[in-house]
Amino acid sequence: MDNTRKITVIQATAVLISTIIGVGILALPRFAVQTAETGAPLVTLLGILVASAGLWLITVLGVRFPSKTIVQYSEEIIGKWLARFGSLLIIGFFAILTSLAAREFGEVVVTTVLRNTPLEVTVIVMLLLAAVSSRHGLETFVYIHYFYLPLILAPALMIVVLSLKNAELLNLLPVMGNEHKELLGGVLTIAALFQGSFIISIVIPHMRRPGQAYKASFMGMSVAGVLYFLIVVATVAVFGPEEIKRLLWPTLELAKTTSLPANILERLDAAFLAVWVTAVFTTLYSSYFLTIHCMSKLFRLRDHKLFSFFVMPFVFFYCDGAAKHSGTLPNHSDCRTDRSDCDHWLSVSAVGGFHHTKKKGYT
Amino acid sequence: MRFLRKRSNDGKKSPALPDQLSPDKVLEQYKDRTISTNLEENIKLINSLLEANPDLVTRRFHVFGKYPAVMFYFSNMVDQTMINFDILKPFIYMPPHLEGRKIGDGQLKNILINETIIHSGARLQSNIVRVIDAILEADSVVLIEGVDEAFLFSTRNVESRAVGQPQTEQVIRGPREGFVESLSTNTALMRYRLKTPSFQIRNMVIGKYTKSNISICYIKGIANPDLVKEVENRLSKIKIDGVLDTGYLEQFIEDNHISPFPQVLYTERPDKAVAQLLEGRVAILMDGSPFALIVPTVFTQFYQVTEDYYERPVMGSFIRLSRLLALIFALIVPSLYVAVISFNPELLPTEFAVAVAGGRASVPYPTVVEVFMMETAMEVLREATVRLPKQVGGALSIVGVLIIGQAAVAAGFASPITVVVIALTTIGSFATPAYNAALALRLLRFFLIIMAGIFGLYGVMIGLILISNHLLSLRSFGIPYMSPIAPGNLQGVKDTLIRAPLWWMKKRPESSQPVNEDRVSGQTVQATKEPPDNPLGPKRSN
Repeated sequence: MDNTRKITVIQATAVLISTIIGVGILALPRFAVQTAETGAPLVTLLGILVASAGLWLITVLGVRFPSKTIVQYSEEIIGKWLARFGSLLIIGFFAILTSLAAREFGEVVVTTVLRNTPLEVTVIVMLLLAAVSSRHGLETFVYIHYFYLPLILAPALMIVVLSLKNAELLNLLPVMGNEHKELLGGVLTIAALFQGSFIISIVIPHMRRPGQAYKASFMGMSVAGVLYFLIVVATVAVFGPEEIKRLLWPTLELAKTTSLPANILERLDAAFLAVWVTAVFTTLYSSYFLTIHCMSKLFRLRDHKLFSFFVMPFVFFYCDGAAKHSGTLPNHSDCRTDRSDCDHWLSVSAVGGFHHTKKKGYT
Repeated sequence: MRFLRKRSNDGKKSPALPDQLSPDKVLEQYKDRTISTNLEENIKLINSLLEANPDLVTRRFHVFGKYPAVMFYFSNMVDQTMINFDILKPFIYMPPHLEGRKIGDGQLKNILINETIIHSGARLQSNIVRVIDAILEADSVVLIEGVDEAFLFSTRNVESRAVGQPQTEQVIRGPREGFVESLSTNTALMRYRLKTPSFQIRNMVIGKYTKSNISICYIKGIANPDLVKEVENRLSKIKIDGVLDTGYLEQFIEDNHISPFPQVLYTERPDKAVAQLLEGRVAILMDGSPFALIVPTVFTQFYQVTEDYYERPVMGSFIRLSRLLALIFALIVPSLYVAVISFNPELLPTEFAVAVAGGRASVPYPTVVEVFMMETAMEVLREATVRLPKQVGGALSIVGVLIIGQAAVAAGFASPITVVVIALTTIGSFATPAYNAALALRLLRFFLIIMAGIFGLYGVMIGLILISNHLLSLRSFGIPYMSPIAPGNLQGVKDTLIRAPLWWMKKRPESSQPVNEDRVSGQTVQATKEPPDNPLGPKRSN
């Protein structure tokens, strides 16, 4: 049996889910509400569809080149130098994504739990954790995602279930929302929360049967999508759109309103946040891993361990700089612009890929 | 002095004297030497090699009254009766069927071994080094004038402990036998449970001076041959002066030497060892150690005990779950306590939070310091209790309980709730069946307490993620340490959190990659699903 092909469909699905679900979930309802008010669940659904299209593209490409990562096959598709430039973009993008996620979570922690701790400390702890863990191989990477999956899904679902007590159906109506001024922007922002799904491109070459990547992508996207959708529905149902607009992290507020039966714990937000560290970690870990994995592939290295600490200062200083630049409020629109660059490049390579494969008569 | 000696040696170019050589080299210079037909020469050589040993017995006698012979053995290590009646007697008395027969020059050896000697463990050896080794192994050696081979007899009888209840792995229900120090007894304890020719043992000698006998036990056709080969390979690389317990071996064959988590399971129970062999693992036994090593090992094995399988599945699962809970308690309760009290007291229900604050009113230190000190005290107390003789131990535990529990609170040194937390943790770590795994958790608990003191719940989570990531990256002989949980395996998961009924676990766990997977026959599985016959149901009227 080929030793490097060990990842099963379920494991690939787990990687997708735990990568997608990250710190974005805390602010998600606000993004959705800002553009469409009570239409938030609808916007979320549309966002999921857009993200699915992106994921589908990556999966198709991955399955076409079952033994290569995106860095490698893009060279075949659009030519060596253009592809290397594109790969550099991907690497830069995910490095920035790592730092943004680390910073946003750092903000959450500093604002809600550790009020006297400097932001840099919480961020660097998170980044160190990702860097240390990224020294392991891809196999361990997958195990880690697989192992944490229940820890990521269970608390979110629990919050949704427990918050039903305070839900008000009226808050969700009208389903279509009242005004649609920035609908497209909102859809793209929410789609951008799913950008971690890009991780599938480095997982496919190690899958036992790469052809089943479609299944993994579909399942991963559905589970993560349903969870995001439920969170948005629950938050909007509890708070109503106007209230959510004024909340920085509505999902966290949702956790505050819930309590366990029998008064085991008086409040749940800190506990929820603590468990949520896992979700943030897996997301960070994925984007960090993706960055250094792509780097090692770009420089034709067999092992990526070399970069695991090398990249960290850059990510940290970007994150620190960004924090000073844009004030304390984390802003996801940075990501969005980057995302559109990346998407653009991706679609070029994808179209090229179809063209190329057709020419050569592949199926 | 050394300088002088060296020069004189160089001058004469004679072989070095035995006492200047390192002990393992002494025999090496006689590597190719065979037994001489001259008896006196042999006696001189053997005596010169084993000179300063007052327990070496050199008994001269005459075979059949004619041929001069000598017998060597170490007294106190041999079965004296056996030597007298089974060895010396047939050598000295000529049996009736030989009387009158003429014994030719070369015939004596064959006649003796084939027609005279009654002892079943007799064999011939011509190499002098092997003969010396045999004497050291507590065999008896007989040399005869004119015969170019030595007679070796297995006569070893070293005093050993009787087979008794295993001290570290007690069960309420299950066999009461434990391994002892003698390898042959241990092998017998396993073999009478496994009456199959497939149960195989490969022997090995490790240790330059201790020459410890190692047995690698496995079931051929279940254990993966690559695994057996790798175990042999790793063991054969060990070149060390002495091996005194299987613990020495463990440290050389484990995959990650600095991890706090043990990657090799040890057991004192033959039934457990056999169960592990049946799951496709390999057991390593050693002469002189009552602990068998089991490889490969995954984390779940450290909280599984044999009793889980002897009890009925529901009860077995229940005991196992409580043990798992204890394990988690031992690891995280103190750090959670520190994090909640010092960073997030709002998590506690208000009444309880008030009670905690009241209890802590007289304590001058932050919670983390308080918990750290109490944990350290508990650790010291526990270590003292383990090492002390039983008579003093009772007194010590009373003192410990008084000081840790009552007096510390009364003195305003610790709050009552801290004492409760420490007690929970300690009991939790005692409930973990594997001592080495409990040790790892005890150590990591301190790390978590520090993390909790610095970063609160966030720190506890970071610490736990670090620990879990480390666990997930560990391998034992190539097997992921956290399997069958990650990577998931449907057969294996039935034996992790719960202990599924035996007929559910039809296949051996994949985590040891056995060659042959079927464990329970399909018919048996079928039979469990059918309604039982009731021959003693309500009486039918005829």
